[in-house]
Amino acid sequence: MRVGPQFIVVLGIITAGLCRAADVPARSTTIAVAESNQFAYYWKAEPVAHTAQLLTLFCRGCGSVSAPDAPTGSAADVPLVAVLRDTLGDSDAENDRVTDVWLLGYANPGIGKKLLSAVPFFYWHPGGGSKSGSKDNPKPLFDLTAPQHSVLSEVGRDLVQWTAFDPMIMPVRATTRAYRANSLDDERLHLDTAISYLRSAPSSNDGAAPTRKELDIVIARLELRKKLLGGLVNQKRAAQLGQESGFEQERIRSRNWELLRQCAEKTGLVFQSLDLAGTEGEYGMLWFPTNQATPMTSTDLKPIWKILNISDPWNDPKLAKMRAQYVWAFDTKDSNVPAPGIIGQQQALVPLAVYSLSYPKTPLLLVDFRDQIHVRGHEMLQRSINEVTAGVIGISHFTNWYYYVAAGLYDFVSSRHGGAVDQAARLDAYSRLRVALALDRQLDPELRKSMEVRLRNVSINPLEAAPGREMRNASVRYTRLQEEAGAEGHLAHIVDQQRRAEIASFGESGGHRGWDTLLHTMTLGLYRNRAPRSPDNLAKLNIYRRVEYELAFLDKLAEAGTEPEVSYDPQLIHASVEQLASLMPEISASSVRTHAVDTLRKLKDISQSSDLQADCSAAIASLINEPALHRNSPTRGIVAETIVAESGK
Amino acid sequence: MTRFFSTCLLLFAAVCPSAALGSQTIPKATQPIAQRVVILKVDGLNADLLYRNMRQTDAATGKSILPWFTHIFAQGGAVFENFYTRGISLSAPSWSILDTGRHTVIRGNVEWDRFTGYAYDYLNFFPFYLSYARSHQVDMPGVQVLDRAGIPLLIDAFPYSQRYQSFQLYQRGARWTTLKNVLARRFSSEVLIPMLENAGTPSLDEILAQQTEKELLANLRGAQILYLDDYTGNMDHEGHAINDPAALLDDLRRLDSLAGRIWTGIQSSPLAARTIFVVVSDHGMNNVPEVHSEAFSLPDLLTSPAAGAHHVMLNRHELSDYKIRGLNPLVKRAFVSSTASFYLASQAERYPTAWLDLDGNERASVSFRNSDLNKIHILLLQLSSRELTPKVRLAATTYLVSLIDKHRSQWSETASQLDEEMQALEVAIEQRKALLAPKPAKWTREQEAQGEDKISRRQAEELSNWQREHEEYRTYAAHLRALLTLHPDPTRPFSGKISEFVPEMSLGDSNTLYDLQHYAAGPGASGLVLDSSGHLDEEQSFRYVNYFPLFAAQRVRNNPQPALSSKPIDFTALRLPPNDIATQTYWLYASDDDQLLIHADSAGNVSLQPVSHLVQAADGSIQFTPEAWHSGLPLHLFEDPELKIPAGGDRAAWLFATHSEREWLEATHLCKYSDGVIGTTEELSPIAANVPGTPGLNPVLLRYERRRRELVQPDIEIFAADHWNFNVRNFNPGGNHGAFFRISTHSVWMIAGAGIPTQVVSEPYDSLNFASTILQLAGRPVPMPDRIVNVMNPSPAAP
Repeated sequence: MRVGPQFIVVLGIITAGLCRAADVPARSTTIAVAESNQFAYYWKAEPVAHTAQLLTLFCRGCGSVSAPDAPTGSAADVPLVAVLRDTLGDSDAENDRVTDVWLLGYANPGIGKKLLSAVPFFYWHPGGGSKSGSKDNPKPLFDLTAPQHSVLSEVGRDLVQWTAFDPMIMPVRATTRAYRANSLDDERLHLDTAISYLRSAPSSNDGAAPTRKELDIVIARLELRKKLLGGLVNQKRAAQLGQESGFEQERIRSRNWELLRQCAEKTGLVFQSLDLAGTEGEYGMLWFPTNQATPMTSTDLKPIWKILNISDPWNDPKLAKMRAQYVWAFDTKDSNVPAPGIIGQQQALVPLAVYSLSYPKTPLLLVDFRDQIHVRGHEMLQRSINEVTAGVIGISHFTNWYYYVAAGLYDFVSSRHGGAVDQAARLDAYSRLRVALALDRQLDPELRKSMEVRLRNVSINPLEAAPGREMRNASVRYTRLQEEAGAEGHLAHIVDQQRRAEIASFGESGGHRGWDTLLHTMTLGLYRNRAPRSPDNLAKLNIYRRVEYELAFLDKLAEAGTEPEVSYDPQLIHASVEQLASLMPEISASSVRTHAVDTLRKLKDISQSSDLQADCSAAIASLINEPALHRNSPTRGIVAETIVAESGK
Repeated sequence: MTRFFSTCLLLFAAVCPSAALGSQTIPKATQPIAQRVVILKVDGLNADLLYRNMRQTDAATGKSILPWFTHIFAQGGAVFENFYTRGISLSAPSWSILDTGRHTVIRGNVEWDRFTGYAYDYLNFFPFYLSYARSHQVDMPGVQVLDRAGIPLLIDAFPYSQRYQSFQLYQRGARWTTLKNVLARRFSSEVLIPMLENAGTPSLDEILAQQTEKELLANLRGAQILYLDDYTGNMDHEGHAINDPAALLDDLRRLDSLAGRIWTGIQSSPLAARTIFVVVSDHGMNNVPEVHSEAFSLPDLLTSPAAGAHHVMLNRHELSDYKIRGLNPLVKRAFVSSTASFYLASQAERYPTAWLDLDGNERASVSFRNSDLNKIHILLLQLSSRELTPKVRLAATTYLVSLIDKHRSQWSETASQLDEEMQALEVAIEQRKALLAPKPAKWTREQEAQGEDKISRRQAEELSNWQREHEEYRTYAAHLRALLTLHPDPTRPFSGKISEFVPEMSLGDSNTLYDLQHYAAGPGASGLVLDSSGHLDEEQSFRYVNYFPLFAAQRVRNNPQPALSSKPIDFTALRLPPNDIATQTYWLYASDDDQLLIHADSAGNVSLQPVSHLVQAADGSIQFTPEAWHSGLPLHLFEDPELKIPAGGDRAAWLFATHSEREWLEATHLCKYSDGVIGTTEELSPIAANVPGTPGLNPVLLRYERRRRELVQPDIEIFAADHWNFNVRNFNPGGNHGAFFRISTHSVWMIAGAGIPTQVVSEPYDSLNFASTILQLAGRPVPMPDRIVNVMNPSPAAP
């Protein structure tokens, strides 16, 4: 079923009407669009069962011109990533949670592809990928409410591989290892695709898009998903990591940009900073200036060609025969800055190579225009070595550690000379360029096509789908999500399950949570500790989340160890202490109550404000002296009760 | 939007306006205002960046984005709005002025001794730690140089037992307990758990910073330690790596929190009321969002035939991240070999003829081998050949002897003075050996607490350095004497060992301006050529390079950013020989037509003179064409809208006139090159006058110490154009510093505590004011009383 704009408008009007009746603030009831002129990306927010939001990231004008929903004469907007934000039906961001992420272009590979991926030394990907007409509910790429679940399942899979499959005969070992490697690569490819989109996404505090902090957490969780034990990182550290990883990405990009520019300068080539699909300078391209004399150099350039990972074009007779030539107009200041419109020096150029600038330490060659099998050959060789050693011969990290020590040493030396030895990071870089090219509409079409063809050759994973097919899948899957956004839809069901799990785990000890996770994994996901369905759940969750919010805020002040009044407006602190004190009677979990008392005591100790000290003392006294009420009284601002009650009728 | 901080600043400016801080009116305090000094030293913190963010209000908190800096200094202390690096904006020279309160004798991040090739590498911590561990070294190299020059550090004003110094460039000793605790923390759960989770682990630097802070706060709780500092290089590292304002703000916030924790520690200490808290940075940083800093490779240029095909010596490997040998932290010399070398093929490690300080970011210093030494080397090589005709051999021999004769007087004097100095050094060595002979086998705790063990090690280390220097300078003097006695036989090929006459790893005497405009880089294209009278044709027999137009003509083709000029070199600078116009004259060259002379007299007054086509003749005379003031001259003062001259005054007339240093600072500090005029006089002035020597030093040894400092002065200083840098070891795509740009020199200085009135000091000051002011507040001996800024009694501002 295709959802047209009329349907969206009608849906918006209906939900707006329903929510007005229920006194729900406007944010979660209308279709809002958060965008910025500087971004090619924008968010669209749609309500989910009146108490949550589906936020979808679109790329403006990145689709096909011939797409059915494309405006006349221009390219359609493409939905890329959707996130589900549980707002509890109010407009207050304090109790919001982003719970799930969908990469809309990603479809589970078909059985045929899965079988092929289990064939050792099979490095091709026939067909374009899963068909877009799937009737199944799109499965989230990642469940942010339980990041620890994936840790145990991955560890479990590794254990099964090591203990059950590896000791078996070679065909079993090689097949299972090939399948596992391909499926892990496929998952990583899509995780990084989602991260790449989200890094380009705008943020806002107006409810029409994720906030900066929410985006940081989502990015961090997806980054951590790539690591075996990354799911164990706590929420506070994850938010910090999300921001830091963005800075680190920019450091790497800046450094590689300058390295590639300098290499071009040393070797007499022309450097171009490529802006693809709304990104800025994430890729670099080298061009060969024809009709120019070989540059004079008085130092050895071999290390530079090694870093660039291409052969010396000045000694390449093939270049003269290459067909694709572009003529650039340069400005008149002796520089290689393309200057459209300026009648300056004209220079015929042949494209040589495209590099990702996001690979750590060195620009990563992804497209070699002179040698189509160069990059692919390298990838195949690396994979073959892994398959031979681990799959065919059965070399183990435990018993044959010296092999891995030697391999590590070789990799280290190779990397010190500019070699790109990190297979996972190479895959990340490949995945980003792949989607950037699929979305880009600025590059010369012929050049882009040429790059796409060569880049496609790099892929050796049978599970991988064609980017074009993924773009088409995205629109279909987005429509499916929209269809499931109603009160009885699948999204509402997901939200309800996650809320009940959150209620059940509130105040639980670490050991208890670990036990729950173990049970969840051992039952292959069938078991999950959840609170029973109850009309009070929404109100209860609202209190829990607000307590967590206030505690996190006050913890931050207390951990700083300095006068809180200097860093924050005392009114804000006073309000937070008061809010916490008013909420705590609803909390029976002793760990949370103890935590609150400890935090308030620390705050009182470091504060120089007698007012704040008095506030803290009063709050501590009430916490110690007054037991929890153990009641589920409705809280102001929570309106979903009505809805729950209505739906229960 | 109303900015809380700016309101505070305005309010305080109105109520208690900043003082007219004329240095000449400030008497030395009779009573110390502060008993304890706590300094937060921040490497590379740009004042614009800090003050701009202090003025921003965070909507989420209702306070300043940097609440602690605002609270401590803007609302309760003194903020120096216009505080600048004096001289070039590089860490080693800048900190040396801040840490001593005196004119600098360290003028680069690395310096090379021209005679011996010894490298003074001021930024490399690893050799220091290693040598310290082996009991060979006790101080960082910068401190050793200052000690030998007789210049005390600010910290030396406090007894050993009363100071806590963090790890920094000018570090006296290292505390093993700190390093031991850092290692223990490296293997603690706070590091290992995130490592297991792949959640990023704190680096050793971060752990060291945490440990230092912990120890500093612990020392604050007592009353014994009266000097404490905490040095951080994070802002500098981040500023070099990235231009993203969010990333820089993130680091600023961490710094702000650190200031808050230190201030909290001070307030709860027993000396709270008598403690001053100071934040200072050594230089700014040229960070502009969306603009990458691009590097221009001087080694590539200098190894090219056009620049003389030099073998180049650096203190680090080029692209060191892409070499196994780049991992060696102890490297002192790295060589870039020229495949086009005209006469020294494959001899890069014996005869590097261009030595560079590349850690200078926006500024590089170049020392070339003496041009006449090149000629001697070329002639000896030619004379070794059996293919020379008798006439050419005779002419070449005659020319070689004339070259030696040209230098005979100077070399004889150098050799005899070196002999005299080495004899004095021998006496000193013997005395030191005698002094160190009764060294105790084990130091008592009391002796260690007083630092006696370190004094002894310091003396032993100095002895070791003397012995090395004695050997090296003796060897150099022997070469000079060998040259002075060289008389090759004009009838047969020269059969001696060239290395006995032309010292390896040595540049010889400094080049004159004539040499640099007429530098002999190799034999002529046709080898040795005779003129019509049968003499060696000097012009045809050698290849010559004029470096000034060569540097100015450099262009970069791969420059994709419109914000950057394709001309990477802004100007070159050097000191001219003594002349009749002024005590000292400095020459800034942007092009043949755009040149500037800076004249300084002995009283410190400075005047500028635009000139063109300045040349030095072989006889040493200098000729130039005086020019009118026009745009395009080095430092661009004439066209700078921020040049502050008296109202109604004529720019050209004002710029032509002689002014005091203070007047220049006030007129130019807001210009694009805030520090250009004074900075040039500081950086290029004769260095010997700044070396007082240790008290009671033998005059011969004082001359020796001054010679050693003179020997590290480069031939040319090269300054990069805006957003260009000369880094080739790694990359600084974020911001850079080193030049005289305001953004690179604008530094932070803020003081609070001990009753210092709240004020915004808008008068410009430079690093020379820092130490004297702090020591005066602490009631300690002041190095330059005329540089004290009176922060206690701000005078009313003019209406």
